[in-house]
Amino acid sequence: MKILIHDLNENDFNLKFNVIGKDITVISNNNEIHNCIGCFGCWVKTPAACVIRDKYGDMGELYSKCDEVIIISNCCYGGFSPFVKNVMDRSISFVLPYFTYRNGEMHHKNRYNKRYKLKVCFYGDNIIEEEMDTAKKLVMANSINMNCIKHEVSFYNSIQEMEGEIL
Amino acid sequence: MKIALINGSPKVKDSASNAILQELKKFLGDEPIIIQEHFKSPEIKEEQMESILDCEAIVFAFPLYVDGIPSHLLHCLVRFQEYIDKIGKKEIVVYTLVNCGFYEGKHNALAIDMMKHWTKKSGLKWGQGIGIGAGGMIPGLGNVPAGHGPKKNLGTALKIISDNIVNSSEGETLFITANFPRFAYKLAAEFGWRKAIKANGLRRKDLFRKKV
Repeated sequence: MKILIHDLNENDFNLKFNVIGKDITVISNNNEIHNCIGCFGCWVKTPAACVIRDKYGDMGELYSKCDEVIIISNCCYGGFSPFVKNVMDRSISFVLPYFTYRNGEMHHKNRYNKRYKLKVCFYGDNIIEEEMDTAKKLVMANSINMNCIKHEVSFYNSIQEMEGEIL
Repeated sequence: MKIALINGSPKVKDSASNAILQELKKFLGDEPIIIQEHFKSPEIKEEQMESILDCEAIVFAFPLYVDGIPSHLLHCLVRFQEYIDKIGKKEIVVYTLVNCGFYEGKHNALAIDMMKHWTKKSGLKWGQGIGIGAGGMIPGLGNVPAGHGPKKNLGTALKIISDNIVNSSEGETLFITANFPRFAYKLAAEFGWRKAIKANGLRRKDLFRKKV
């Protein structure tokens, strides 16, 4: 199974990406989403699930069942757009609060044995060189933190450019 | 001089970001006029933006979320940039203090870079960033003054950035951690998680629960 997280409006997404008949769970900005409030409830109150029970409260469980996470996001200051970042912030139940060391630095231990590939597609017509550099480092850092199998990152000037390239 | 201190933590109380800003205030002294704002939700009011843009320096303090800026704060920054675009460029210097639960302060580097990009896109001037590791310890050390004990490095860094803020000058990004051994920090944090889960009526093994 693949997970596709994107911040496109429904029309643009349906026109450019055909997910019908494919084993892809699509996470779209089509429901009310609450922001992470830093309560750590997904670790110590309702372990493995976010305490906020909107449509985005079980991201960690979803990741544990997928082989690949694909992210389509507007590049915002070298990072994800607010919606995509919100989904990411609500995903930390995928890991444990306990620490481990990777590359000599502290990170969180895995909750699940399952590991996934991370593919990030940033778009935007005004992405400057420094933002691209930050975005590449960000995807690598996310990949290390979530203990992904591998990661890749690409940049597109427009949504049109992504058509036929991603799925 | 007027300085805006912005707490970017979503927590209403006991946040490391607020604790750090309160320590910074002591270093800034009584001379500057300080206004304080708390961006705890994705909403930002026009009055808040107006009052912040009336300052010569803006200091953001926030927690690191998944290697970056927390989404609610990112929402506010996008809205803030649109507002600045509308009203025109301002001569304001931006400083940023990012803290994380990991021991090493270096984890905060990308969030600081993102704040630099926001500053540039908003037409403001970058001042300095500090990446603070072992942030989880800070709220519990309210009685220890910055510059002493486990907050020795924090005090040194806050002195440097406060001097830069009052002089509207730029400084290189600094990364610090607690003056406390890494293995002991890890043990203390893990003891804290076990205590927290038991306080919620669950057992230690529930920390490892999987949803299938």
